[in-house]
Amino acid sequence: MVQQWLGYSQQVQARVPTFFIRLGFFMVALTAAYFLFTSLSYYKRNKIALAPWLFLAVGLVFFLIYVIFPIFQSLSYSFTRWDGLYDINGDWTGEWVGLHNYRVLLDDPNFYTSLKNNVLWLLLFMLAVPIGLFIALFLNQTVTGIRFYKSLFFFPFVISQVVVGLIFTWAYNPEFGLLSEIWSWFFCETKENIVGNLTRVCSVEPPSILGDENFATYGIIAAGLWPQIAYCMILYLTGLNNISSDQIEAGYLDGARGWRMLWHVVLPQLKPATFIAVVVTVIGALRSFDMIATMTQGGPFGSTNVLAYYMYDQAVGEGVGRYGYGSAIATVLFLIMLVYISYFLWRMYQDEREAG
Amino acid sequence: MSLSFTKLALGTAIGSLLSGAVVASDLVITFDDLNPAPKAAFEAAVDAFKAANPDINVTANITDREAHKGTIRNALQNDAPDVIAWYPGNRMGPFVDAGLFMDISDLWASDPNLSERFNAIKPTMTRDGKQWGVPYSYYQWGVYYRKDIYDKLNLSEPATWSDLLSNCDALKEAGVTPFTIGTKFLWTAAGVFDYLNLRTNGYEVHNALTAGEIKYTDDRIRATFANWEEMLDRCSFISTHATMSWQDAISPFAKGDASMYVMGNFSVAGYKDAGLTDEQIDFFQFPEITPGLPRAEEAPADALFIPAKAKNVENAKKFLAFIATPEIQSEWNKAIGQLPPNSAAEINTDDKFIVEGMATLSTASGLAQFYDRDAPAAMAKAGMEGFQKFMLDPSTLDEVLEGLDKVQAEVYK
Repeated sequence: MVQQWLGYSQQVQARVPTFFIRLGFFMVALTAAYFLFTSLSYYKRNKIALAPWLFLAVGLVFFLIYVIFPIFQSLSYSFTRWDGLYDINGDWTGEWVGLHNYRVLLDDPNFYTSLKNNVLWLLLFMLAVPIGLFIALFLNQTVTGIRFYKSLFFFPFVISQVVVGLIFTWAYNPEFGLLSEIWSWFFCETKENIVGNLTRVCSVEPPSILGDENFATYGIIAAGLWPQIAYCMILYLTGLNNISSDQIEAGYLDGARGWRMLWHVVLPQLKPATFIAVVVTVIGALRSFDMIATMTQGGPFGSTNVLAYYMYDQAVGEGVGRYGYGSAIATVLFLIMLVYISYFLWRMYQDEREAG
Repeated sequence: MSLSFTKLALGTAIGSLLSGAVVASDLVITFDDLNPAPKAAFEAAVDAFKAANPDINVTANITDREAHKGTIRNALQNDAPDVIAWYPGNRMGPFVDAGLFMDISDLWASDPNLSERFNAIKPTMTRDGKQWGVPYSYYQWGVYYRKDIYDKLNLSEPATWSDLLSNCDALKEAGVTPFTIGTKFLWTAAGVFDYLNLRTNGYEVHNALTAGEIKYTDDRIRATFANWEEMLDRCSFISTHATMSWQDAISPFAKGDASMYVMGNFSVAGYKDAGLTDEQIDFFQFPEITPGLPRAEEAPADALFIPAKAKNVENAKKFLAFIATPEIQSEWNKAIGQLPPNSAAEINTDDKFIVEGMATLSTASGLAQFYDRDAPAAMAKAGMEGFQKFMLDPSTLDEVLEGLDKVQAEVYK
């Protein structure tokens, strides 16, 4: 019964034990290969050089199968027109179209909307870092019950993104949401309508945040910021714990107060925390998919799409089935991320070289 | 898991005991509706089939409708069941073109029900001159309205476009928003577009548009949008429609803040759940716009198909022939409050919406499937987003239509 609700089919159920049996065989074979390999004299002679690779091997294999291979696969799909189907003989049904998908992409207003929204997410999401810092500074004091207050501020990070999305969707709802309730104190009165039911008549209509193309993206970003601020706050709180009190005292004696103290003494010591906060916030902004899926599904008329959601929407969403086009979007997204990731890795490398 | 294994084993054991000398064979069906009434109706039909064919072991899997839209691709290409639920019209197109559905034209030619009593729906099930599935149910679309509000304002069901517009004026004067709608999931707006286009240009033009033969910037389609603009202006829709689902949009209708709803017949259950009674709500066909145009209607059908990889084809065909019989079609559709495609089947005469629906559809000159089933999915998605954009801001019309032309050029290749 439960399986049926979950959408499992009989065939899948029947396959499950076979899968585990195969997995078992695979594990046994792997262990056997491991012992065989480590007993080789070649291995014994080069132990130091080979051991790290042995540890990495499993991870590398999976990285190759699940990350590297799909990158090239979707790159190759992006040069085709394909609806995601194989025919009865298992043959691929697409056709090669060269750069056509990229040409269409350059002429697609939805693509530019998504790109613009990606940039908006990256920029506005950064607000989580300073806001998180100030809440952390504010909470970094010893008052009775401070742990309780800290946990209240941390709470939104604990709940699932989907729940955050739902709560904000309800709050924004122009009919019954929290915002419209507050709005109606100022602009609305309750009247009896034609059939005698009580209804709300407003001089100015409450804002329909998720239904208005100009506000919808900001509405989702605000919802996403709520848990992200909590995340940055916790990073800074741990960072503040490690601040050396000697330097604070020295600064105090030299006459540093308030902003000067914060800027010249505290912040430099929080540099590692800031670095991590920026990194997780950029990653958070790129992971906006869940929030968009729960709150607007890209609507109204695609105005809240980001590249990741637009790609999903075109390839697998609702049977649209433009796999080639979706892959082209994915490739562009990958190239953009590649710039950021390369910079990040380069920075890490530089830092390590300086430290070492 | 273990439970269904035991069930399966038990079923096989009992089946072989009962059938005795007869060799038992299997039939696996995947159905896609878990809502209580459709699920019960499907199960009743399966039980009747089992009783009539004790030598067939029937395994019925029921999945969630939205999940099914994703899993059917996998099901058709790998472990195919013998019978599977899907939509006719262009929605079956990709699977037919990839050779994943079985051609059952022979069944349509030989079966007494399919060959004679399904004429109205046959074109919908046809692609490349062949038939691919058997419909078990369809339903009408039209305008559902608050009869009590209409009576209070001495309004009558509009027969023409100008009647509708003057009704709207009176409703707005009385402080009632004429139409409710929830376009968050887009497809509801397509219902309005379909009707405006069917009434402005007729079935042929509408079909040509969804088949990609006419551009969206065509003057005839522009005329449809001009009517829509007039409708938005004089018959306004509730202003917050972009944040609401079709179910949310029932609320202002039930409260009496809005008075009309362009919808399918499945919505009647929703009105009744919201506390409205048969006396408060009624139905009229979408009024005539271009005088003298043959009246076509929106009538989406649900159907069952045989995957090309099915293992028990004979049993599957037997099952499809069975659900095409008038008795099963009557029972099934009485249970779910919809219309049987078999013209010899009986309908529930106690339900005024069903009676009106039958009258509406049986006299229609053509049946459209609904924009997102008539047009390919990629076109439909872009089209419906365009409709929503236009509804929120009619001044974007040119931008919307030119954008749709671009998508059209890309999709129909």
